[in-house]
Amino acid sequence: MRILPYGPRASLVEYDSIEEVMAASARLRRAGVAGVREIVPAARTVLVVHDGGVDRAVLDAVLADVAPVELDHGDLVEIGVVYDGADLAEVASLAGWSVDDVVARHQAVEYRVAFCGFVPGFAYLVGLPAELHVPRLATPRPRVDAGSVAIAGEWAGVYPSASPGGWRLLGHTDAVMWDEARARPSLLEPGMRVRFVAR
Amino acid sequence: MTALDVLAWGIAGSVRDTGRRGLAHLGRSRGGAVDLASLELGNRLVGNPVHVAGLESSGGLVLRTRRPVLVAVTGSPCDVTVVDGPPLGWGAPVALPSDATVRIGRLHGGARSYVCVRGGVVAVDGDRLDVGADPGTEAASQPAVPPRLEVPVRVWPGPRLDWFARGALDALVAGPWTVSVTSDRVGVRLDGPSLVRVRHGELPSEGMVEGAIQVPPDGRPIVMLADHPATGGYPVVAVVDPADLWLVAQRPPGSEVRFTRPR
Repeated sequence: MRILPYGPRASLVEYDSIEEVMAASARLRRAGVAGVREIVPAARTVLVVHDGGVDRAVLDAVLADVAPVELDHGDLVEIGVVYDGADLAEVASLAGWSVDDVVARHQAVEYRVAFCGFVPGFAYLVGLPAELHVPRLATPRPRVDAGSVAIAGEWAGVYPSASPGGWRLLGHTDAVMWDEARARPSLLEPGMRVRFVAR
Repeated sequence: MTALDVLAWGIAGSVRDTGRRGLAHLGRSRGGAVDLASLELGNRLVGNPVHVAGLESSGGLVLRTRRPVLVAVTGSPCDVTVVDGPPLGWGAPVALPSDATVRIGRLHGGARSYVCVRGGVVAVDGDRLDVGADPGTEAASQPAVPPRLEVPVRVWPGPRLDWFARGALDALVAGPWTVSVTSDRVGVRLDGPSLVRVRHGELPSEGMVEGAIQVPPDGRPIVMLADHPATGGYPVVAVVDPADLWLVAQRPPGSEVRFTRPR
């Protein structure tokens, strides 16, 4: 754990693993340290934005605690998927499985939102079976449709809006991942649990 | 009810409020007015709550009033022409009658001017703007003092300073830096001496703040503004003091930016 300087209103904290990041952000959300405005987890870091009046000693003590923490129970979100992705066959071949196996195993596990990034509402999900840890495309597609269900490396996710993208496409969902007009614009928030279900 | 018609949006003309904070963990940065301080000043001048929407313009915005409105112009000093209404100077609330035409012309010294209207812009339907109810609070009785825009911008060490050659912060302060024409609401891109990286590995994406000075592989820094990506994978060498961020947001393409260390 390293606390890195980020000006008078923020700290960036670097951890050794995504598990430590998830534990630290869960602990921070729970601690409710006065003056903390934003807690932004990423792959190996947590950015903490505060209002300048925060007690740095209190904040730093919470950040320094890397002991495993029981994660929040977290809301469970089910995402209906039509498995018709352009990369299904290639992913099956990389995994050494049949397409049916890929589809079954993608649904068989419960994922958890580690963090969001890239574009609004793009949730990075942990929990993908190791056999499905496939490299991203060598050349990203210039356009991936909104609702595309995809995997890359250790991550699973859903494209919330049309964008360029290099993840491997397994299927698509009609779920609206991001809607600015909703009180909670992102369907998936850090700490939530996720299951994919074939439609 | 429509209160204003936009006859021309001009350069980067748009309706902006103060944006939404607190969504960075969902991958969304603040958005809203790039120069928050100037939007908030305009709102205070016309008696609005500071967060409501006004118009952001880099020149060429033309408005016509459909009913009497109280307006104020802030941000960059600019040429303002009013037809069928009283003169509208910088930084003071002015009551305009119906059917007045206001044109924001050339900007002088800054990159963005703001037009705030009492009640705030509450809805946009094409070129028609609805203005909200009278806030009931008094407008300012004194004009604002035009700020000096060409002062050095304070910078703090960033989280990835150690990815750069020793003395990177001094090099940033030494400059000189010129604002690139490719600058936009995402960030102010700077041309100048290349900041030399000593670590070349890949950095996993990490959270960024407004004012973060990110350095892509070409060595030319980008100061992140209102529409910056919530996370980024290039190292952040330094961060602009939040109180000075609006000064960077106001530097027009081709102008110089100078950085300084806080004392």
